[in-house]
Amino acid sequence: MRISILVLLAVVGATPGLAQTPIVDESEPNDNVRTADSVALGDQARGVVNPAGDVDTWFVDLPAGQFLSVDVDAAQVGSPLDATLELIAPDGTTSLAFNDDFDGFDSRISYRVPQSGRYYVVIRAFGATGGPGLTYAINFGKVTCPVVGSEQEPNDTPGTAAQVAIGDSGSGEICPHDDNPAGDVDYWALTVRAGTTIELDVDAAALGLFVDPVIALYARDGTTQLAFNDDEDGADSRLQYSIITTGTYYATVADAAGSGNPFPYTLHVRSITPGPGDPITVRAQGLGRPWGLAVGNTGDLFVSDLTGNRVVRVSGQGVVTTFATGIPTPQGLAFDAFGNLLVASTDGAVYRVTPQGQVTRFITAGIPLWIAVAPDGRIWLTDLSDRSLRRYSSTGQFEARFDAIGVGGSGPGPLAIAPSGEPYFSQGTEIWKLANGELLRVVRGAFIIWAFAFDVAGNIYAPAPAAGRIQLFDATGAIVADTFAIGPDAPQAVAFGRDATGATVARLFATDPRVGRVFEVNPAGVAHPGQPVGYVAPRFPLDVAAASLLGGGGLSAADLQYLDALGNHNGRYDVGDLQAYLRTVGGLPGARSNR
Amino acid sequence: MSRSRWIFAMVAALVAGTACSDNPTSGSSRAGTLTLRLTTPHADDGAMTFQVSGPPIDSATVANASIRLFTRRESGSTVIGAVVGALDNGAVATLHVPDVGAAARYTTTVLEVADRQDALRASLAGYALTVAP
Repeated sequence: MRISILVLLAVVGATPGLAQTPIVDESEPNDNVRTADSVALGDQARGVVNPAGDVDTWFVDLPAGQFLSVDVDAAQVGSPLDATLELIAPDGTTSLAFNDDFDGFDSRISYRVPQSGRYYVVIRAFGATGGPGLTYAINFGKVTCPVVGSEQEPNDTPGTAAQVAIGDSGSGEICPHDDNPAGDVDYWALTVRAGTTIELDVDAAALGLFVDPVIALYARDGTTQLAFNDDEDGADSRLQYSIITTGTYYATVADAAGSGNPFPYTLHVRSITPGPGDPITVRAQGLGRPWGLAVGNTGDLFVSDLTGNRVVRVSGQGVVTTFATGIPTPQGLAFDAFGNLLVASTDGAVYRVTPQGQVTRFITAGIPLWIAVAPDGRIWLTDLSDRSLRRYSSTGQFEARFDAIGVGGSGPGPLAIAPSGEPYFSQGTEIWKLANGELLRVVRGAFIIWAFAFDVAGNIYAPAPAAGRIQLFDATGAIVADTFAIGPDAPQAVAFGRDATGATVARLFATDPRVGRVFEVNPAGVAHPGQPVGYVAPRFPLDVAAASLLGGGGLSAADLQYLDALGNHNGRYDVGDLQAYLRTVGGLPGARSNR
Repeated sequence: MSRSRWIFAMVAALVAGTACSDNPTSGSSRAGTLTLRLTTPHADDGAMTFQVSGPPIDSATVANASIRLFTRRESGSTVIGAVVGALDNGAVATLHVPDVGAAARYTTTVLEVADRQDALRASLAGYALTVAP
């Protein structure tokens, strides 16, 4: 390490603020912690990232609990440098914080050091560039909660909230200080007209910071929380909410960890345009936490309610009755080939509920999350205990396990059967399918996707709870409508309705657990009937199925597609599909029917 | 046909039938059954479609109770069939034919085979069907 040179600014008077700032010029080599240049809080360090790949390292000695601000000025003052900044712990290796772009291309880190010691600040050029013109200044300061961006402390109450308009962005800093070590809360006030759906989007981790902001929306009284989000966009947060009454509402930004670590952030306030599924209509309310959703063959809705460990039935008139109780943490629902309701429970079992509401333990698994029944009556479920997709016979006999760890994310989660007969599941922000034993990604979304549903055209209606909307993808995974519906608060599971004959119709329902309701999207926006769910009774005699395979015709294109979906779904009707059909209807010699 | 000529024809037919029984190479036909046998390189075949062409076939039945058979007459000389079940090397169907002596004139084709998990075989190499008494 070489001793750096302290230079007092020679020119005083024109810029009195800067005149008091000690300036320290770098002294090469200072490429690592052993050769780092010394600065103190209140200093401004200056240097050049030159040649390409150059790394400049600075150190500062800090007492435990010190709030540190490290702020680069380069691009803002005309330097071509796109800086990155990293804070290293006293051990010389542990990275505590990193930032690329905060003020445009300039970087900034705010940090509360946990222990006394020597901390290192490393500046580089993004892309390992360098050159004699890539000059910079780093301001080493205390976090004193000054005016930062468009907020000004104190703003910890609705009465002191900073103003932000829809369509604008506000920037601020979660800025705890010695009087408020547990964590700062910044209030923002926004005036919203009725009928507007707003999106509040916080970027902090996205700026390259190791931080975890949370956001909340409060009603006009400033105290009633309307919505909350943590981690919708990685560590960053985002929420959407439909405003019913014109007025001033309040958004708060805070630190999820409450660690006292200061960090800068940007709050975006946007208005979201309604989609074809808007407006929504509430079909049932007053539920606890409605979660999974299945539609019975007479059109009644069956909803798993985490509050009360029960399943409720919602009639076409919106009358809610308890259908089954005593099912711990009920999750996904599906009807089996015999008309029983299957309920996945994370207590390690799938429960079977008879039409009379009698509950028995049916399948024992690790942590079954979601469940679906294929047209052949086979049962599919996702098991979080080993992150697998599992297949069972219609009578609950285990048949096959498919490892889904490789798809990444946090799944496999919610599950549905596509018109092709293939199981699709969400792993978080993506939907994957199992095709011929291989897992293939179909949808790559921007939000966490929960229990989705198919229409007969293969379009996917995907609820994004934290984003407060439903998205619509086509069969290839391309966006058809984003948003499809923004009326929901936090849609969790969607399912197509059925008429009195059991036929699936073009009506889409969803659970909305945060507000305890079940709603229907605008049916005018639903272009196709839903894909029939669960076991589908055979529609033609065996001889006709066989004759069609042997060249005799007699089946429609839809029938052939159905048969292919039952079997090997390779895109055409073949002898493997005939075999599957015989198995389904009990036509195989010595075989039991799946009916 | 006059009565005398009809009697003659019947007698001639009987004589011919007797001759056939005694001498299969005489060229006269004898109704009976032939067996359609499968040769397969796999042990888990579950379903197969096939075609048999040649002399007439009156009907076909399964060779054993573990197989289900469907047939369709494509033309006077061609029958297309499907067998579903636990297929193995050996008999899969019994063909009822008007002339068992014509067994060698039948030609067969394996059209599709699926394993017992419904997956279609990508290759039919090693498969063969024969028609024989």
